[in-house]
Amino acid sequence: MSGSQEMAEHAVETDTKTPQPAPVEYPVGPASDFPPGSHKIVQVGTQEVGVFNVNGDLHALINICPHQYGPVCDGSVGGEMSCNASTGWKFQWSRDGEILICPWHGLEFDLTTGQCLAPKEMRLRKCKVSLVDGEVRVSLRAG
Amino acid sequence: MSVQSNRTASDGMVIVDCDVHVNDLPEFLAPHCEMPWRKSLEILGATPRRYLDVPGYAPAFGLDAPMPGGHATRSVNNPQAMRDELDALGIDYGILLPDHLLKFATLPNIEYATALSHAYNRWLVAEWMREGSGLYGAIMACPQNPEDSAKEIERYAGTPGICSVYLPTAGVDPLWGARRYDPILAAAEAADLPVILHSVTVTSPVFPAQLHQFENYFARQVIGHAFSMMANLVSIMHTGVPVRYPKLKIVFTESGVSWVPCMMWRMDRYHQEFRRTVPFLEERPSEYMRRQMWFATQPLDEPINPKYLVETMEHYGGADRTLFASDWPHHDFDHPRGLAKLPLTQEQRRKIMGENALSLFKLPMPKRLTKREIQPV
Repeated sequence: MSGSQEMAEHAVETDTKTPQPAPVEYPVGPASDFPPGSHKIVQVGTQEVGVFNVNGDLHALINICPHQYGPVCDGSVGGEMSCNASTGWKFQWSRDGEILICPWHGLEFDLTTGQCLAPKEMRLRKCKVSLVDGEVRVSLRAG
Repeated sequence: MSVQSNRTASDGMVIVDCDVHVNDLPEFLAPHCEMPWRKSLEILGATPRRYLDVPGYAPAFGLDAPMPGGHATRSVNNPQAMRDELDALGIDYGILLPDHLLKFATLPNIEYATALSHAYNRWLVAEWMREGSGLYGAIMACPQNPEDSAKEIERYAGTPGICSVYLPTAGVDPLWGARRYDPILAAAEAADLPVILHSVTVTSPVFPAQLHQFENYFARQVIGHAFSMMANLVSIMHTGVPVRYPKLKIVFTESGVSWVPCMMWRMDRYHQEFRRTVPFLEERPSEYMRRQMWFATQPLDEPINPKYLVETMEHYGGADRTLFASDWPHHDFDHPRGLAKLPLTQEQRRKIMGENALSLFKLPMPKRLTKREIQPV
């Protein structure tokens, strides 16, 4: 792992570990604000968090790209291009709506895991997201 | 021969030289060449010529005025001469590559090029492969005719002494990695023969050999080999050669090694951004380089402090991915002693000087080292 990635991940971790005032779970809006396919940036304590509805499941990720600290969640959402033995070495498009592309340098991340599709050790920090009485709540604790 | 024998730096250590050149004059190859192209080689053989400058065979694209104090123009004409000279250099094994036919890829006539590749391979096996000589051969691929070339590799795979496939790299168009060459790479992988990219300074309209703007040979030599290797490495990566041929072993020669981290880092950086365009690369390009690619030392990069070179090697895998090469008998050859000044551990030195190549090319430990116990580190 390169030094800059370590720094980036460290920075994210440090920020999120800063003591937060209660409550731990932040309400970010009614569920109707987060329909399937939507993606929205919300403020959670000191952090900007991207909330994505992927096929009905909510995923929340901190809006910092570990590459060069870009606002990754401002990026567009698309699918995964693959080409390997199992696709017969043909280009194949799959997982539409599950891949986030950072607007700064185009790094791709799996919204459901935070995993980067290129350098495997790079990943976005996920947050815990829950639905309580029709209200979406995000906690900065790892989700 | 002015080279002095000196084994002091390498005693107890196998020395394999991944790049020595045999004099492949047209009249030498003529008897091995199919008609009608044998006639062409006979004409070329009877025509006055300069050193490594034979139009229609080894076009030199000479652009420079001759200067007093010219370069060494050494050639090695037969296996005995090569053996004697490698002995004097303290080299156990040499992997033979052509001399004139380093410019082979610039020849446009497909039928002629095909016949010439056949002739070179026949001549190499008939005249140079001698058991116990320590001389090993690389079958010449013909980028002008990949399908035929694949058959040629199949034909010679398993021939005693043949240990690799030479990919003519100077002026090759398109670059290695282009899918039209897949039959060659598939055949080399199937035969478990490493491929060796070797370039030479040529001036041609083909990227990255458009060197006509440079006023002198100094510049063309500095640029020529290294840019050729950089371009071919990227080309090989951008079509996923290491993924599509995961057992293929790829060797880059005659460009030193300092260019390697530069291209490795650039590819890793842009793989992050443009993974979608090369989705077959499921790991960083550097991972494939560390698994399937080797880099030959000559011409040895000579930073003011030799430790900088060792540090540079470490970026791409260091002693595990580096092979000694002399480029004998060419003007910029490296004596094995040239590497003595590098601050390497004895284990690293053994790997670079020969052990990596023994395992890569599947060569036996030379008798001088099996007769007695190998010296402890």
